[in-house]
Amino acid sequence: MKQNEQEIQVLKEDINQMWKMVISQLEKVKHSFLNNDLNLASEVIQTENKVNAFELRVDDDCENYIALYSPVAIDLRLVLSIMKISVTLERIGDYAKGIARHVKEENCASFNTMVIEQLEIERMFDALLSMMTDSFVAFTNESSQHTGKILSKDKEVNEIYHQSIRQLTDYVKVHPEEAHCILMMTILLRNMERIGDHCKNIVEEIVFYLEAKVLKHEGKTE
Amino acid sequence: MENTIIKTVNYSSFFGTHQVVKNVNMEISKNTVTAIMGPSGCGKTTFLRGINRMHELLPDARSEGEILLNGEDVMKTHPILVRQKVGMVFQRPNPFPNLSIAENVVAGYQLNGIKLSKSEKEQLVEESLTNVALWKEVKDVLSKKGTFLSGGQQQRLCIARAIAMKPSVLLFDEPTSALDPISTASVEELFMKLKQDYSLVIVTHNMQQAARVSDKTAFFMMGELVEFSDTKKMFLNPEKEETQNYITGRFS
Amino acid sequence: MKNHLNYRIAKTKVMQWLVYLLAFLTVLPLVFILIYIVKAAIGAINWDFIVNIPKPVGEIGGGIANALLGTIIILFFATIIAVPIGILTGVYLSENKTGKLSYWVGMCVDVLQGIPSIVIGIIAYFWLVRPLGSFSAISGSIALAIMMLPIIIRSTEETLKLLPNSLKEAGYALGMPSHRVILRIIIPCGFSGILSGVMLAVARVAGETAPLLFTAFGNPFIETNLGKPMQTLPLLIFNYATSSYEEWQNLAWGASIVLLAMVLSFNLLTKLITRKWKIQL
Repeated sequence: MKQNEQEIQVLKEDINQMWKMVISQLEKVKHSFLNNDLNLASEVIQTENKVNAFELRVDDDCENYIALYSPVAIDLRLVLSIMKISVTLERIGDYAKGIARHVKEENCASFNTMVIEQLEIERMFDALLSMMTDSFVAFTNESSQHTGKILSKDKEVNEIYHQSIRQLTDYVKVHPEEAHCILMMTILLRNMERIGDHCKNIVEEIVFYLEAKVLKHEGKTE
Repeated sequence: MENTIIKTVNYSSFFGTHQVVKNVNMEISKNTVTAIMGPSGCGKTTFLRGINRMHELLPDARSEGEILLNGEDVMKTHPILVRQKVGMVFQRPNPFPNLSIAENVVAGYQLNGIKLSKSEKEQLVEESLTNVALWKEVKDVLSKKGTFLSGGQQQRLCIARAIAMKPSVLLFDEPTSALDPISTASVEELFMKLKQDYSLVIVTHNMQQAARVSDKTAFFMMGELVEFSDTKKMFLNPEKEETQNYITGRFS
Repeated sequence: MKNHLNYRIAKTKVMQWLVYLLAFLTVLPLVFILIYIVKAAIGAINWDFIVNIPKPVGEIGGGIANALLGTIIILFFATIIAVPIGILTGVYLSENKTGKLSYWVGMCVDVLQGIPSIVIGIIAYFWLVRPLGSFSAISGSIALAIMMLPIIIRSTEETLKLLPNSLKEAGYALGMPSHRVILRIIIPCGFSGILSGVMLAVARVAGETAPLLFTAFGNPFIETNLGKPMQTLPLLIFNYATSSYEEWQNLAWGASIVLLAMVLSFNLLTKLITRKWKIQL
């Protein structure tokens, strides 16, 4: 059924583009934060509209595909997972925008620069980017081989997060005058931890698509 | 509309006093695939057969209203001429069993006494069979009888026979209901190709087929045209409740 | 339960054997006839027999040449007359299954089939022989043609009725007028059935005597003029078998076996041809 396959290609193409866009947003926001680059932050904020537009487009594609082609089996799992992945990507995009706004609007540049190394923020960003990129590769190559590795990166992200919160808790007792930036940083760290969670959700959808296994809400991580 | 190839104006069909198709007004665009669906007995086949004037071959049959093919009223043209401009493919593949494959393709000419030169004939056979993706499969057995092909191949042969007449419109009356899924898929693939050169109207019982292959879909019920819109709209968000009831299977 | 089952199995066996027995009994007379005729006539058949006409009474030898030729000629012309009328009528009946004319034509065909052959002979005598002034082969052909008509008509009609409607539809959809649909599609597809109907009709009337009694009448000499009386195998058998001359009786036996061989081989030929030419629908 050539027509069916063509439609699937269109779906995959659209979600891939959205994915790449969100990865690029994340990279930009990492650089913008680490170097306090306000221009890059503005770019990220503006590009967020395009991410939202992509979500609508993917939604539309999926609706049409289901209505016209009544997919079953792997095709059905593909379209269901794409729908969920697009929502998740859009949320990640939102968080990225949030981080960019932090850079641009909060006057915490000096504080941020000071704590970057201590809180291992760069390592956290890198873990997130690696999760995003690896899951993208897994989806396009249709291979669930390395999903375990990706899921373990989320553990790493969570560890850094909890560690950082402990450090900030101690710090605020000693430097209450910097409470504002400390709180903003907590929110930022929280957002990054949420991004990690969302990446984990994406991986779960990929495994559902490829293997029809449901990993969601399972206690264990692999 | 410039792009319209068929336009029906208050078209109705009867068997005696029993009205089977009621006042249908429909415009079909060039180079599109239009699907007609509806429950059994809704008049869709009768309507289709009205377009090439096959309806009146049945006892007690008559029609009212106009059907304009490229602007000319089909009801006022001689039926033989109409049928040479409008090809039809039926539910059961019906290649002529006494003719070979090649003879079947050009049957519309030869059996009508229209003379073709040998080279014209060969060219027409190759062209038509290529357009239905059958040439490679049968080019070495052109002189064998048509009935030795599989169901899907026979149906494609019937399509080749119809397009050999170079019609502007092709009518299909449930063309794949007698075929297995693989043959069905091969015929459906053909529709995409054929619509580049012809305008197709397909009556089908199979809603998924209508969704897959057509650009626009018409929904008939009890002889009336209930809804006629883009297929995407029809299957995502139909306007009429009856349409929705039918396609969701709530229709009883 | 088991007893009842055994009873039914036994009953089936009994019925089976009964059927075999009755079938065998049906074939028996045919076998006897064949054996008897072959025994009686085999001595008489030789080349002379085929090519000579009967000699006058008292002379030895002679043959059935005039009767053989006459049978062939009269059958040939009867076929030529009956086939077009029969096939077209059969086509008409299969195309128009309802309607008053169709009903009455069908009724007439059935009645015609039941008319005794001698009555047909008498009618032909009054219609053709009297006005024309003499017995003639052509009046014999016409009488035989009348007898062939119902067989050809019915078998054509039945053959064509079996053809699926979709064939005709395919023809119409290609823009063919009715007469072409019939001549170029329907009749060719039903050809083997129609042909077998024709051949069966010929085999059937080949042995008819009564209609020829007052029409072809018979002729001791070879005759090829249709307007004159002609000899046929059944007529020869009829006249010579009851005569008191032994040579003539021998001729009658010989003619019987030739006629039988003709009819049997025609039937076999029909079966072979229909099988070979049958269009697989």
